[in-house]
Amino acid sequence: MSDVRCNCQGEISEEDMLKQIDGILDDYKGTSGALIPVLQIAQKMFGYLPEAVLKRISVVLNKPYSEVAGVVSFYSFFSTVPRGKYLVRVCLGTACYVRGGKDVLDSLKKHLKIDVGQTTEDKLFSLDVGRCFGACGLAPVIMINDDVHQRVKTVKISELLDTYRNKKDETSKEAN
Amino acid sequence: MAAGQKISSVKELNAVCDEIRRNQNSGLNPRDEIRVCIGGGCIASGSLDVKAAFEKALKEQGLERKISVRGTGCLGPCARGPVVMIAKDNIFYQGVDTDDAKDIIDTHIIGGKVVERLTWKKQGTGEAVAVQNDIDFFKRQTKIVLRNCGVINPTSIEDYIAHDGYQALAKTLTSLSPDNVIEEMKKSGLRGRGGAGFPTWMKWSFARKSPSDTKYMLCNGDEGDPGAFMDRSVLEGDPHSVIEGMAIGAYAIGAAQGYVYVRAEYPLAVERLGIAIEDARKRGLLSQKILGTNFSFDLEIRMGSGAFVCGEETALMASIEGKRGEPRPRPPFPAVKGLWGKPSVLNNVETFANVPAIINKGGDWFASMGTEKSKGTKVFALAGAIKNAGLVEVPVGTTLGELIYDIGDGIPNDKEFKAAQIGGPSGGCIPRQHLNVTLDYESLNELGAIMGSGGLVVMDQDSCMVDVARFFLEFVQEESCGKCVPCRVGTKRMLEILTRICEGKGRESDIDTLIELGNQIKDTALCGLGQTAPNPVLSTIRYFRDEYEEHINNKHCEAGVCPGLVSAPCQSSCPAGVDIPGFVSLVAERRYAEALRLHRNRNPFTSICGRVCFHTCENKCRRAMLDKPVAVRGIKRFMADQEIVVQLPEVHENADNAKRKIAIIGAGPAGLSCAYFLARLGYRPKVFEAEERPGGMMVQTIPAYRLPREIVAREIRIIERMGVDIETGKRLGRDFTLTNLREEGYEAIFIGVGSPKGVRLDIPGSNAPGVTDAINFLKTYNLKGSVPVGQKVVVIGGGNAAVDAARTTIRLGAKKVTVVYRRTMEDMPAYMEEIEDAVHEGITFKPLTNPDEIIVVDNKITGVKCHSMKQGKFDRTGRRRPENDSATFVVEADHVIFACGQTLDSSELFSRDELQPISGYRIMTDSTTGETSIPWLFCGGDAAEGPMSVVHAVAGGEIAAVGIDKYLTGENHAFWRAQQMVDTAYDVNADPVAYPRVNMPVIPIERRKDNFNEVELTFLEPEALRQAQRCLRCDYGKTITQERK
Repeated sequence: MSDVRCNCQGEISEEDMLKQIDGILDDYKGTSGALIPVLQIAQKMFGYLPEAVLKRISVVLNKPYSEVAGVVSFYSFFSTVPRGKYLVRVCLGTACYVRGGKDVLDSLKKHLKIDVGQTTEDKLFSLDVGRCFGACGLAPVIMINDDVHQRVKTVKISELLDTYRNKKDETSKEAN
Repeated sequence: MAAGQKISSVKELNAVCDEIRRNQNSGLNPRDEIRVCIGGGCIASGSLDVKAAFEKALKEQGLERKISVRGTGCLGPCARGPVVMIAKDNIFYQGVDTDDAKDIIDTHIIGGKVVERLTWKKQGTGEAVAVQNDIDFFKRQTKIVLRNCGVINPTSIEDYIAHDGYQALAKTLTSLSPDNVIEEMKKSGLRGRGGAGFPTWMKWSFARKSPSDTKYMLCNGDEGDPGAFMDRSVLEGDPHSVIEGMAIGAYAIGAAQGYVYVRAEYPLAVERLGIAIEDARKRGLLSQKILGTNFSFDLEIRMGSGAFVCGEETALMASIEGKRGEPRPRPPFPAVKGLWGKPSVLNNVETFANVPAIINKGGDWFASMGTEKSKGTKVFALAGAIKNAGLVEVPVGTTLGELIYDIGDGIPNDKEFKAAQIGGPSGGCIPRQHLNVTLDYESLNELGAIMGSGGLVVMDQDSCMVDVARFFLEFVQEESCGKCVPCRVGTKRMLEILTRICEGKGRESDIDTLIELGNQIKDTALCGLGQTAPNPVLSTIRYFRDEYEEHINNKHCEAGVCPGLVSAPCQSSCPAGVDIPGFVSLVAERRYAEALRLHRNRNPFTSICGRVCFHTCENKCRRAMLDKPVAVRGIKRFMADQEIVVQLPEVHENADNAKRKIAIIGAGPAGLSCAYFLARLGYRPKVFEAEERPGGMMVQTIPAYRLPREIVAREIRIIERMGVDIETGKRLGRDFTLTNLREEGYEAIFIGVGSPKGVRLDIPGSNAPGVTDAINFLKTYNLKGSVPVGQKVVVIGGGNAAVDAARTTIRLGAKKVTVVYRRTMEDMPAYMEEIEDAVHEGITFKPLTNPDEIIVVDNKITGVKCHSMKQGKFDRTGRRRPENDSATFVVEADHVIFACGQTLDSSELFSRDELQPISGYRIMTDSTTGETSIPWLFCGGDAAEGPMSVVHAVAGGEIAAVGIDKYLTGENHAFWRAQQMVDTAYDVNADPVAYPRVNMPVIPIERRKDNFNEVELTFLEPEALRQAQRCLRCDYGKTITQERK
């Protein structure tokens, strides 16, 4: 199935990527402490931080590549591998943990058939854990991209994932 | 003045403020507004749609120009979101959805009638409380930091200005010198709200004194402590207060540039703060020459990227500089050498939000709140097992109990408070015996916790404290930056040990090793993260050492959490360890005989427990998250009622064992259970019973309407059939002694004599004729068939014995029966079902009532003089201690029954023995073997544990049986403890069945009040099957790696 599907949608060539990042770097040249904001923007633009982009950032900001790579590997938000269309983050903060966050994670692993840090074969979902989204009053919560889902019940996980799967179906129908 | 125009003097600021207020009054009355919370929590509950629905509904009614809809910051009770405030009459609505918007507009705004179904409901009574200030949750709060949250629109600088915004900055710039500002902060006594509580004025003063042309004012919004969300709410609900506070601070220390570091998990906070900074710049309240003075200050936001350590000040500065967020040793302190090597001050969001209020109202005003050493208020984020989860602000020094019970409304789902985790990964757990602790920096430190940023996660008995400690260590281990060895390696070693304990592979020395390692890490780690990392472990060891020991020694996790030790939480919580999902799923497949055998594998009293068990399993059932727990006891009762052919358990015959002589004293549930499990190993124990009938409390005190006698007799006969000999009428201390038994060749002796002596209160009249104790009263009736009963009976106590005695007297003809209890109904230890049945039968309960005297006239009881009680502080059990209230009154009575507890009557038992295995009111035993201090003497049940329940006694008997076998053979042969394979079908992908929980049917009141017929009836088969299918099969696919001991 998956090898038939076109994955090119949303993927851009390295050349375009570098063009886009150059635009950003122009704004930040000369700003002190620019590295992290630039990386954040790049990650938002491409969904991850490709090596070519990191190299360009290192050259333009005049920082050794080792320093750039060191910063990228230090912060858990940065990823050097492509992520799925929907990033599912399970909160394992204290409140969510004591309200069954771990069971929610187990259930997601079971339904998506992937482990934490992995992406489903259809590139639809990536699974990650977070430490507190500040919605402790509504524990357990998960975030799917920027949507916070509150009081998630393990028995309702498949329903929730289906709503996102169906979203995908709608867009692909439109595309056809 | 046109909107958005620059404000270049204080005069202009005041003019703008007046103009905004005037505009709001002329066009739309600000009191005629609907405030919809658009804080992060309520947005997750759908409040943006609700806001749109209100706007639409107003438009439909043509009211959109008369009444405005305002999105505000967090109102507090996040768990009840989306929440809405109707400003004109202060009515608070909760759980509002899009359909409700129209109803509120039509009924309330137009019709003038409060929509009661959406109002707050009072705890206990369920009474609707509509006005916000009448609601306990709000009434008990004092809002300084959150003064504007829930009132103003966070994305409107005009709104902020109209609420005295930037007045403090104006005052500072025009009439205060930097030293005056610091002096005012000193007077206020404000301490850093980020966690450590360092005096704010001192930090500012250090930075002010550091010579440098460039200084920085920094705000820490990297709220990384899981369980804390106050910074988020302030940034989302009132961002200008932080900007204003920072500008005042910058003026005091001489900084012209500031940074707000916000974590990336808070996109909404970043967005709203960004808007606020932009608006402030446009209005001339940031950037150059603010308000026409020479003071210039500008702000930038820096976003975190998911590193907890960046909450540490030096790491945060490294991160702003664009580096890896690693801390560095101090000194030099940031006030001397901070961001880019320049003097810098870093304060928390909440600290800054306090500053404008202090400048406006004065340091003395602020210092009038709080305790001696901690002033002002503190915001707490209540989360976890608490009804009113959300954000609250209280004066420093409020007690933990007030916060949890008075404001938070207590623990949901009838569960008990176990501990409050405060201070996140740097903090500790506070157990229930310390509910009276005042929440200030010093008191919390003494208990091994810290104030931290104010995240307070409440835990009930479903949380395993070892697992919680492991959780925090895992967190710290993941977030450790790796720069220093104690944190990087030390926490890893600690985590390994904790993981081992959770898996049931813990060693005896592990607890001591954890303490030693923890203290070393505290002393040697580089930064705050490492130095405080062991706190969660050390504090849980301090208060919950028994739980660690239970994991290590008994391989048991009672909370039902630790994988490897737990297959399903219901099973872990069952004292006898019955495979509950196993027998329930067998019942669902109509395999009743197999189900029964599986149950008897761990508990000989299936029929009995199907009637009287207090079912901890149901309290732990995960189905309760969906609707109500599975009716385990009802299913068990049904299953037991299907037994036609007696289902004997697996027995290992053993000729050698059969020859050993073992004596069991007491044929109650503990003694019989011990005999049962010994018999399954091939022993032939002999049971001595003091009364004429075996069964102990099961036949002596539990009334027949709950537990018919033939049921008890039948299950005892099964045990006799397995080779157990019961001799009645033989009382220890009267008919024989332990020494006699030893002389007769008994190699091991088990004591299961219970706690059969009733306790009376020492009050005037307590020994008058007509006063009895519940145990004696019930025993006399149940064994002799008759007992004197008065017309007007008062029962004193709140346990099961009290309810049993009360219900017995009514069946024996008492006209009026009153139960007086000194605590509340909720605190009564008796089973809720029993209390409900008693009420149906016409028994009156008088809670919060304490007897002072039994009035005796002419040697006859005429009444009980009582006084009412009120709830005071919390006691060691986590319940509120009843305190005397003024009112006294007399309850008429001619018969008084004390049901105030029972105890072990040791005076006669061992009077002729030289051995005295007694310690206080119970016999001390080893929890894994039942051994007493005398090698051949074992004990279990109430005699060892104090008055408990049938299923506890079964567990105690089983443990001792295994202990005796091990004593005699040197080995453990408890084959029944191995996990049983149950081959029932289970479809993982199927949705849970929708059937609701049904209670067991009961016979009508009129047919039960004058007799002792069994009140409860069994389920019919179709109902029993439906109930059994409700089980979610938490055990599915789980393997227990460590056998419970």
